[in-house]
Amino acid sequence: MTTDRRGTIQSVERAARILKALGTGSSRLGVTELAERIGLAKGTCYGLLRTLERQELVEQDPETGKYRLGPATLQLGNAFLDNHELRGRSLLWADSLASRVGESVRVGVLNQSTMLIVHHVFRPDNSVQILEVGASIPWHACALGKAVVAYLEPGERETLLHGPFMQLTGRTFTDPESLERELVGVVDAGVAFEDQEAVVGEAEIAAAVFDHRGHPAGAIGVAGSVERLMPDGPVAGLVAAVKETARGLSRDMGAGRLAARGGSNV
Amino acid sequence: MSDGTGTVVRIDGALVRRWVRLSADQISANRDYLTQLDAAIGDADHGVNMDRGFAAAMTDLAAGVDLVPGEVFAHLGSTLIYRVGGAAGPLYGTMYRETGAALGGETAIDPEVFLTALRSGLEAIQRLGAAVEGDKTIVDAYLPALTALERELRAGNGFSSAAHRAAEAARDGARATIPMQARKGRASYLGARSVGHQDPGATSTALLFAALASAVDDRT
Repeated sequence: MTTDRRGTIQSVERAARILKALGTGSSRLGVTELAERIGLAKGTCYGLLRTLERQELVEQDPETGKYRLGPATLQLGNAFLDNHELRGRSLLWADSLASRVGESVRVGVLNQSTMLIVHHVFRPDNSVQILEVGASIPWHACALGKAVVAYLEPGERETLLHGPFMQLTGRTFTDPESLERELVGVVDAGVAFEDQEAVVGEAEIAAAVFDHRGHPAGAIGVAGSVERLMPDGPVAGLVAAVKETARGLSRDMGAGRLAARGGSNV
Repeated sequence: MSDGTGTVVRIDGALVRRWVRLSADQISANRDYLTQLDAAIGDADHGVNMDRGFAAAMTDLAAGVDLVPGEVFAHLGSTLIYRVGGAAGPLYGTMYRETGAALGGETAIDPEVFLTALRSGLEAIQRLGAAVEGDKTIVDAYLPALTALERELRAGNGFSSAAHRAAEAARDGARATIPMQARKGRASYLGARSVGHQDPGATSTALLFAALASAVDDRT
């Protein structure tokens, strides 16, 4: 939440916080619980909920009387994804990368300190997998995040390197020095690696995607079991495929040849 | 292997092999259930992976009838690491290997020593996963099981009784993960989706402790 509230409208902010509360953590909340969580009088909270309900942004469970997100939120979410330039341009690239290497592919963009997954192609082996679109992975615990942060302007990078860093596994880097070394490695190699830093047993190889200004618009990478991706270090063929895909996608995003190769702006 | 209170019970290779066999049975019988739990927040492969790993371990151990407990655990751990994908392979595999290493070459193990070895196994899991109680992981079943095991042994209630209380504590611990929001693993960044589902890892741990209780009773 921003500390500078000049020019903002309190009731809109409160309504937004209600939606966010229903979108994270326990997804069904009563008026009293919601009012407490957000720090509102119960009557105010109720009025906001009624307004949101009329707009189909929330709905009330007829049995329990608790509130949950409404159908209009799905339309908003879909509209966000449909209008997302990197996602739109990545669809074909991600499909072709997944079928070429036989692994799952994710595309992410930096959102504050997490990577928001905007596209996910399943590993093409007919196994049951869970769609990760919409997941927010701490940037420091995934290759997608390291790939993007490595090419940010120094000021933005410094801010993110201050943390705090959540420990997701025993291998998550949680100190600025190690993460800075990781980022230097990303720029050297033009590709980022993650070895069981988010989930035990899983690894990721990702590269940044650049826009027409040469700024990192996001990243694309393959994620899968560490035995397949990094049996004795990263598999060279996978690394090459990821880098090639990121270069092609960057060109589609309007990046110049140098930027598409990885970081003319640094 | 009689276990009247006051009788000194020692854990030998036969009991440990029986534990592994009954664990394999439990995992196999609950394979689809574990997979179903995993489908909510994981990759829907926990049941299938664990079943494959334990089946492979049974084949590997079929020849080793004269293995001491530490060796049985070492073999089981290595098999799970190589045969089970996802997080479960490295976590359970390392747990058994550490347990085996803590037992060394002893042929008949005192329950207190066994407890200490199981605790080394738990520490290995926590080291790999950086998980503490309440994170909605294996730890939420494993830790209460060890606490119950220790409490019963200290009270002098014998190993059989202790194993049964441990199995109950693990089962209750697994059930208690239902309302939790995951803070480790894939489920941690899928946010609210984990709430309302029992953790598959905690559930398989509860099955393993149930198998331990049966193994102590079963003298075949």
